[in-house]
Amino acid sequence: MAATTPSFAFSGISSSSKLHRISASSSSYSYSYSLRPITPLRAHSSFKSAQIAATISVGDKLPEATLSYFDSEGELQTATISDLTKSKKTILFAVPGAFTPTCSQKHLPGFVEKAEELKAKGVNTIACVSVNDAFVMKAWKADLNVGDNVLLLSDGNGDFTKAIGCEMDLSDNPIGLGVRSRRYAMLVEDGIVKVLNLEEGGAFTASSAEDMLAYTVVLDLAIYVKSGPSVFG
Amino acid sequence: MAPIKVGDSIPDGTLAHFDEKDEMQQVSVHSLAAGKKVVIFGVPGAFTPTCSMKHVPSFIEKSEELKSKGVEELLLISVNDPFVMKAWKKSYPETKNVKFLADGSATYTRALGLELDLAEKGLGVRSRRFALLVDNLKVVVANVEEGGEFTVSGADEILTAL
Repeated sequence: MAATTPSFAFSGISSSSKLHRISASSSSYSYSYSLRPITPLRAHSSFKSAQIAATISVGDKLPEATLSYFDSEGELQTATISDLTKSKKTILFAVPGAFTPTCSQKHLPGFVEKAEELKAKGVNTIACVSVNDAFVMKAWKADLNVGDNVLLLSDGNGDFTKAIGCEMDLSDNPIGLGVRSRRYAMLVEDGIVKVLNLEEGGAFTASSAEDMLAYTVVLDLAIYVKSGPSVFG
Repeated sequence: MAPIKVGDSIPDGTLAHFDEKDEMQQVSVHSLAAGKKVVIFGVPGAFTPTCSMKHVPSFIEKSEELKSKGVEELLLISVNDPFVMKAWKKSYPETKNVKFLADGSATYTRALGLELDLAEKGLGVRSRRFALLVDNLKVVVANVEEGGEFTVSGADEILTAL
């Protein structure tokens, strides 16, 4: 996969402007953008060589897939992507592995912390996906005291992860991680990807709850325009 | 690979685990087992019911008794990554001298011929449930279960053989 620094794709805005950390204090938000050399307005597919290659892109409909989890009664349940996303605003975020340091100490806890805030902004479902089995996800959920606000879903065979092209093959790594998911966070509306922040491997730069919270605000303010980069002049 | 059996020499392989200082280590099976009596036991998956509630505890409970009969190492292998194995180990109040070793890519499990395809259940390739008593790298007892059930692969069966 061509590895470049992560770039964020806003549907219709064809520049690789980097959205810096947005500081939110009560109801005032400040944005700072650093524009890299502006590339001509183009459709997303032609950006693939400049961006990290992923099958899924902003504007795509998520492929159907079945994920599994143990419910509060300890029963194994399944949830399809349509269950999770149809007619809803959903945040799906993925981690390379349950119990791994960054995932456990920052990524997942961040979403647990911000879950209420995200829900207040209209997000109906928040789900974490990992290529781990449902037993491990259940144990991880209990270990981090994750309540019902964030679902921990097992993509046990990696089928969904591969279908969206976000897999990372760590089979060569001697510690034995096999094929896992790259870290990402996406905001999905009625099954369509609106925001996709896909990290290089397991890096943790733009896929946090705070980043997602910022996007929900951005969408609210309809900065989500289809004109070119000159909007940010 | 045909399943390992009594009389065979165990293959060497590298497994990962977090040591007492919480650092990730790669260990060679032979380095742990050469010149000693050891038990190698395998489970289909960390945090799964039978494994967690019966199989592993049987070895933790009997570890002193096994030690008094000359078993120096209790090596638990599962096809899970070392982070998961570490978390699983922590979920027990004490693990005595059972080492929780990760065979993340199932390489060693396959070398033993004890792999189990659980892809249908979303678990991928795992290990069959088994317990081996190994004396200076030679398999003396091989108790391998058919599926995930727990009938012959516990600590008691190993104790009767000693």
